[in-house]
Amino acid sequence: MNATDNTPHSKPAIDTSRCLVELRNIRKAFGGVLAVDEVSLNLYPGEVVAVLGHNGAGKSTLMKMLAGAYPIDSGEVLLSGEKVQIRSPSDAQNLGIESIYQTLALADNLDAVANLFLGRELLTRWRTLDDHRMDADARKVFQRLNKNFTNIRIPVRRLSGGQRQVVAISRAIYFNARILIMDEPTAALGPEETAMVGNLIQQLKAEGVGIFLISHDMHDVFALSDRLAVMKNGKRIGTYRTQDVTEDEVLGMIIAGKAPAGKTQTERPAR
Amino acid sequence: MNMDWQTLKRAQIDWRMVLMSTVLVVIAVVFNVLSEGIFLSPENLYNIAQQTAVVGILATVMVLIIVARHIDLSVGSVMGFVGVLIAFLIYTANWSWQAACLMGLAAAIAVSMYQGALTAFVGVPSFVVTLGGLMSFRGAAYLVADGKTQPLADPFFLKLGGGYNGGIGTTASWILAALLCCGLLLAMLNKRRAKKIYGVPTNPAWVDLVLVLIPVAIVLAFVATMNAYHIPNKDAPQGVPIPVLIWGAVALVISFLVHRTRFGRYIFAIGGNPDAAALVGIPVRRVTMLLFLLLAVLITIAAIVAISRLNAGTNSLGNNLELLVIAATVIGGTALAGGSGTIIGSVLGALIMQCIDSGMLLLDVSIGTRYIIIGQVLIAAVVFDVAYRKWTGDAL
Repeated sequence: MNATDNTPHSKPAIDTSRCLVELRNIRKAFGGVLAVDEVSLNLYPGEVVAVLGHNGAGKSTLMKMLAGAYPIDSGEVLLSGEKVQIRSPSDAQNLGIESIYQTLALADNLDAVANLFLGRELLTRWRTLDDHRMDADARKVFQRLNKNFTNIRIPVRRLSGGQRQVVAISRAIYFNARILIMDEPTAALGPEETAMVGNLIQQLKAEGVGIFLISHDMHDVFALSDRLAVMKNGKRIGTYRTQDVTEDEVLGMIIAGKAPAGKTQTERPAR
Repeated sequence: MNMDWQTLKRAQIDWRMVLMSTVLVVIAVVFNVLSEGIFLSPENLYNIAQQTAVVGILATVMVLIIVARHIDLSVGSVMGFVGVLIAFLIYTANWSWQAACLMGLAAAIAVSMYQGALTAFVGVPSFVVTLGGLMSFRGAAYLVADGKTQPLADPFFLKLGGGYNGGIGTTASWILAALLCCGLLLAMLNKRRAKKIYGVPTNPAWVDLVLVLIPVAIVLAFVATMNAYHIPNKDAPQGVPIPVLIWGAVALVISFLVHRTRFGRYIFAIGGNPDAAALVGIPVRRVTMLLFLLLAVLITIAAIVAISRLNAGTNSLGNNLELLVIAATVIGGTALAGGSGTIIGSVLGALIMQCIDSGMLLLDVSIGTRYIIIGQVLIAAVVFDVAYRKWTGDAL
């Protein structure tokens, strides 16, 4: 074991026709409650799939299973056509799946650099923390996202919402995520910072990253997503190209759980 | 002037430590004046240093326990149990002290793993687990030797607790001081070099130099004082007492763990946000078990120092010690809510408490008054802590 354990994995050439993630018949129960009921969902490289639904619809649970935070009761996960076992957050990270959580999974008492590398610290050959290398690398990533972000050595609880979001997103960028799960990424942000996240999503898409976007914000969903999937009571109501449906139809699905008449569902992006 | 202020701000000086050190100095000077020069005499400082060692050793690890959002109320009882066990094995069972200490360590590890597993895997709050332990292991300490005091006589072993033969002598003390000072200087140079390589902004050279010279001055002053203590009927002065040496080594090792290893970083991450720690893939349970393992090692070290200081193991060894240890930790700036605390703070906290206690003892303050004052000092420390966190924006 040496420091190279943590070097970001190299990205394969982008092949947008090949399915990046296939979730097949995923089930999850908490006690007697079926939180996710036989849900299947695909994600292609360079695609943003919005996952919508009420609180408790099962969308966050589904995404947390992909991120390794919850074990899957039954069903299969395929990455680029290969069946994988995701038993822990580390498994997911090793497969190139990064998550940005609504609650911003940051350790408030640690600084931005420590949070960027949390769980995947760079080590010296003596197996001690390589603080200076982490500091230097972190500066580069933060610079890319926000030029004004320089107070990276104070506890993140003293940072603004936007800066905290930069730290969370940096985790995905630094470790070259292939698949990104964003849970309400703009919920705590001002307009400028929301725009920053929007730009970033476009940039990552161009690099072939596949993104699952959990959001309540219809504006975000229609501005950013290529397809959208609606869930209710743990079931998938439907998956559509975002351009094929209207906001009202989507709201109808979220609230009433009924698929709009005359619209075709699709498992593939429009390409 | 403004430039200097910016430099100081960037130098990331821990103002809390500066303030606590000032408080310690003020306490010492006030007691020195009131006691007409006795408080700051080498003899008194030597005694304070070695008396603080047991609490100090345990406080270093208590910082980590509390940072990780746990608590250990059973340290005193477990230390009593382990101490009596070691003394019993040496005195009654005729074991060598080395074998007895290893057995003591094994017992401490067994106890810690039991309490740690209940906390980490079963999810029983450590407050409850160790509250039970506080009583149970006090009982165990009684049962080991049937309540009988176990006297110790091995001359080498007794040195570990300090006292008459417990100093390392002047030459060794100066050599140690020189090594430590070189180490501090090298560490600083190394840090500047590494920062330069990676293009990370460095402090101006004079700031770094001052930041090294302060601990160097403290080390040299401490060694000079310990070397000045000459017990009248002995040939040579005492030098640094061995228990203080052990305490210093423990504090250095744990500081290293905190700042330079994943283990230390994960403890702080777990304390800051346990959910986030789990979500980023930190093995929370394994880290918790390792922490309890470290606790077991330090309880054994503290037990060895404590029984050799007492020249005996008794079933009341370490009575109420948990309160002193937690108080030292809290006075040292560790937040009971978890997530923040420093090892050097625990050292200062333990010293502040012991200085106030010893100083009042010198002034013949009654035991009742002493308890009242130390209790209120603890509260004052926490009030300050809350105010300080509000001021810096680190409110918990």
